[in-house]
Amino acid sequence: MRDIIRILIAPLVWLATFSAIYGLHGLLCGHGINGTAFGLPIERVLLGAAFLFAILLQTALLFALYHPSLAASSEFSRFVSRATGWVGLVATLWSLSPVVLTTYCV
Amino acid sequence: MNALGRHRKLTAIWASEPGFKGWFSTVNHTDLGRMFLATAFFFFFIGGLLAMLIRAQLATPHSAFAGPDIYNQIFTMHGTIMMFLFAIPTFEGLAVYLLPKMLGTRDLAFPRLTAYGFWCYAFGGSMMLVSMVFGIAPDGGWFMYPPLSGAIHSPGINTDFWLIGITFVEISAIAAAVEITVSILKYRAPGMSLDKMPIFAWYALITALMILTGFPPLILGSILLEVERAFGFPFFQAELGGDSLLWQHLFWLFGHPEVYIIFLPAAGVISTVLPVMCRTPLLGYGWIVAAALALAFLSFGLWVHHMFTTGIPHMGLAFFSAASTLVAVPTGMQIFAWIGTMWKGRPELHLPMLHLLGFFFTFVIGGLTGVMVAVVPFDWQAHDTAFITAHLHYVLFGGFVFPIFAGIYYWMPHFTGRKRFFYLGEFAFALVFIGFHVTFLAMHWVGLLGQRRRISTYAPEDGWTAINLISSVGSFVLAIGIAMILIDVFLHALTASRGRRNPWRAGTLEWAMITPAPAYNFASLPHVTDRNPLTIEPDLAVQLAKGEGYLGTPRNTWRETLTVEVASGKPDMHVIYPANTRLPILMSAVTGIFFLSLLLKFYWTVPVAVVGVAILAWKWVWSIGRQDDMDTVPVGQDIHLPNFAMTDRPPGWWGSVFLLTANATLFGSLLFGFAFLWTVAPGWPPPDWFPPSVSALALGIIGAGLGPIAMRYATQKNRNGGTPLASLALTLAGAVLVAVACAAMMVHTPAPTRHAYAATLFVLGSYGLFHAALGILMVCFLIARVRCGFTSSARRAEFPIVRLWIDYLSVVSVLILVVAHLPGLMG
Amino acid sequence: MLSTVDPAGPAAQTIATLWWVMLAGASLIFALVMVLLVLAFRRKNAGDDAGRVRAWIVGLGLVFPMTVLAALLAYGLIVGERLLPREGPDIVKVGAEGRLSAWTFTYEDAPSFSTDGTLHIPAGRPVDVAVTTADVIHSFWVPRLAGKLDAIPGRTNILRIEADEAGTYTGVSAEFSGTGYDSFTFYVIAHDAANWDAFLNGDFE
Repeated sequence: MRDIIRILIAPLVWLATFSAIYGLHGLLCGHGINGTAFGLPIERVLLGAAFLFAILLQTALLFALYHPSLAASSEFSRFVSRATGWVGLVATLWSLSPVVLTTYCV
Repeated sequence: MNALGRHRKLTAIWASEPGFKGWFSTVNHTDLGRMFLATAFFFFFIGGLLAMLIRAQLATPHSAFAGPDIYNQIFTMHGTIMMFLFAIPTFEGLAVYLLPKMLGTRDLAFPRLTAYGFWCYAFGGSMMLVSMVFGIAPDGGWFMYPPLSGAIHSPGINTDFWLIGITFVEISAIAAAVEITVSILKYRAPGMSLDKMPIFAWYALITALMILTGFPPLILGSILLEVERAFGFPFFQAELGGDSLLWQHLFWLFGHPEVYIIFLPAAGVISTVLPVMCRTPLLGYGWIVAAALALAFLSFGLWVHHMFTTGIPHMGLAFFSAASTLVAVPTGMQIFAWIGTMWKGRPELHLPMLHLLGFFFTFVIGGLTGVMVAVVPFDWQAHDTAFITAHLHYVLFGGFVFPIFAGIYYWMPHFTGRKRFFYLGEFAFALVFIGFHVTFLAMHWVGLLGQRRRISTYAPEDGWTAINLISSVGSFVLAIGIAMILIDVFLHALTASRGRRNPWRAGTLEWAMITPAPAYNFASLPHVTDRNPLTIEPDLAVQLAKGEGYLGTPRNTWRETLTVEVASGKPDMHVIYPANTRLPILMSAVTGIFFLSLLLKFYWTVPVAVVGVAILAWKWVWSIGRQDDMDTVPVGQDIHLPNFAMTDRPPGWWGSVFLLTANATLFGSLLFGFAFLWTVAPGWPPPDWFPPSVSALALGIIGAGLGPIAMRYATQKNRNGGTPLASLALTLAGAVLVAVACAAMMVHTPAPTRHAYAATLFVLGSYGLFHAALGILMVCFLIARVRCGFTSSARRAEFPIVRLWIDYLSVVSVLILVVAHLPGLMG
Repeated sequence: MLSTVDPAGPAAQTIATLWWVMLAGASLIFALVMVLLVLAFRRKNAGDDAGRVRAWIVGLGLVFPMTVLAALLAYGLIVGERLLPREGPDIVKVGAEGRLSAWTFTYEDAPSFSTDGTLHIPAGRPVDVAVTTADVIHSFWVPRLAGKLDAIPGRTNILRIEADEAGTYTGVSAEFSGTGYDSFTFYVIAHDAANWDAFLNGDFE
């Protein structure tokens, strides 16, 4: 069962952060807040921070899946869990890239 | 005991009742798998007839074949039948039939549940057919968007048939998914660690987990829409705080994963059949497992791509556009892994291989057009046109029907033990392949020329006449081809000559038995050391028949098997299955009365049916277990295993974990819906808020805390040989407190027909109340079991199961009560 | 008449170009896969599985699609950004309200009247259509001018359309709405500058 969790965790976290950031975008558009931070509109800063957090989370997971004391014991489970770990990281970078690429709330 | 004697003895233990009566009492997976498949193909036939009617209607402009009211029923039912009554049950049937055989065991985890699922499917499907016969079939499209499907614009019973009938059928999908998940994780031959599982089992496991998390949003949506229609709770009415977009989110949260739920089992068939046709092992097993997992997860992040034209801001669309392009990567990886397998081996052009080539040609086109519509601006043009109709048929026919035909022809000798002698199948394949592409290739173009989906007619000036006529001609060729395949299958089953065992020289365990399969599958269970056990040990079937594996000696009248540890495949439990019973069909009939009462609005029979189901469920669970302790059981090879009644993680615990996973998804979707309405829907704030009460909240939280703690005491007390009755009584008190708190919440909720806020709170309260009632029932059951001597310090298996449900009740009830009371208390 | 591949405005033109580019790319990829499939049937030399995994799964299965898709995604996002209804000078604002089974159009520059079944716009100027509904979900679609946008109860969605030249363009409601769906059509008439002024003054036939 632990191996199953190792295999599922990274994409599961991707799904959670992906939905959360989509929700955050909807929330920011629905209840517009004004202001700037670091010379950028506050919406962009919040979305960017969430994006960064999601990336860091996935990197940490991947690190854990490669760490000898946390990795799966069987070779097969190690391979699959690391592969899905990479899926989580790449999916985060790819699917949430619009945070820094596109216009928000239009 | 010789092989024949063992066969006779095992057959006496495992066989169903003879004759057609056996259908109603069988719990055997081989029987039920065949029944699932036969029923699914019956619905495929009906759905195909409806498709013919659609093409007849659209063949010429200004067609007067069917009016729009009938035509709308036809295309709604075509989509609904193909999705819910053909594709998903075909997966279920194939998995139910094959999995225990491939995994080297004797049946699925919960044989009676398999039967219950089948009968729910059969009864629910019949309900849909009845609606069609009477001309009152659903007519709002298989996607049922409100407000069109709401009570104002669809006052008839048509929509109710869909919402209630499909929910009834979904019970079978959830049941099968729980069953398949637990079976794959636990019910395998000793030695079969995760990396030695047949690849089909991986695909089936992933698909089952997807059903458990993908279907609940639809079930929730159907419940909410039916409640709106029947009682006027305005979940989807913008003017009363609801939002029609909530339905679209819930529907596509199900609807997109659904596409991959359909594709993945077919991919499992391809990954199984293709290597055998190429006489080589599959290339990149681990990569394929990872790709299928990636596909499953990514598919849950795509749902908004069905909503690109609903006015969601561009960044929101861009997230889903990006995720939709990304999903093509694991799909492409599997396709190239399969072609790489073909390069590695020597492909032989048997009939299953022809269908696989048909798959490649068709599905690659469907995938490429899929990437096109993932690009937002193009979708703004293509959405809801015939381009999409063409695309989805390339995906579903290419990605499901061709592989399934390949699978049917591949396993046909296993189903019947016979071999084909006609070339009818090859000819039929040619007709299907040509007919399909003639029907759908040009349909892309007519979509780009502006032909919308779901129109019942068009004018000659539109310039679509020629393409539509070609499509219709092609569809009739396709229909003839499919009819020939069905005839071929019939002829095969009736007339063909007796074939030899393992005609394809495959390596997986389902061929290590006589065909047609005996009721017990394996006279003794193999020890697995390789992914293709038959390749390294061609005589395995004979060895197993001689009883050289595990559990080779029939004992009493027990239907015995064993389970293994999830990862390593080390044996860990001895299992005795229940025998033939009519309980499943009876229980699904009573479940049917529940749904039928809702449909016909005979509300006074609803509680009767609920009580009926509860009584039958009580009886169902009561019949398992023993009143005396049992020594560890020798299973052969000097291994002794505890019976499942004497473990902490019995099959029922595993089943509960996954049923609760689905349940939690439903609850999560409900909370999502509440948050969505609160933040996004027009028509907020509501006219009146829920009156919060510190005492009611505290009461519920105390109850929610008491239950799990007392239940843990009870478990421990029982383990130490004491009597757990006092602690169980406290657990019961906790559940009662939760029930009271939830009931109070429902009573104090403002009128639920006036605003979606109150309506959602009311539903949340009912959810809590229902689970509290369930918890009360379970604790009462356990108390009765303790009193009747079904438990002891060794026979402890039922405690962890009840504990799991009580824990779940606590978590959801606290969330529900907090959601209701806290906003008001905070100001 | 309703053809998306016969564009008559900048939005439809951009999307039609996108389509032709994607069709060309998809055809090449399809041809590649089919060639690889056919070549699987010839006699071949032995190789090792590690090399095959590198070539088939990592090379063709991972690197190749990710490269192509990254390019396509970027293209799609850029096009999407270009088609957004941004603020700007010279934008004409109109309203389109769908109801079973007809559209009613209103004009910000002429609030005193509305038209049924025909939307009037000036040619060569960007027009923002505010799409709403009075009953069920509809979708505003003029294939030769732009993509479609849904009319959702309780919401207002803005669609940018523009016709290059004066003329009449056919539109349809593109979200299934029951028995009247077949004939749920409308027209968009694009006027030259003089006629547009006349229209706004209430001077039209």
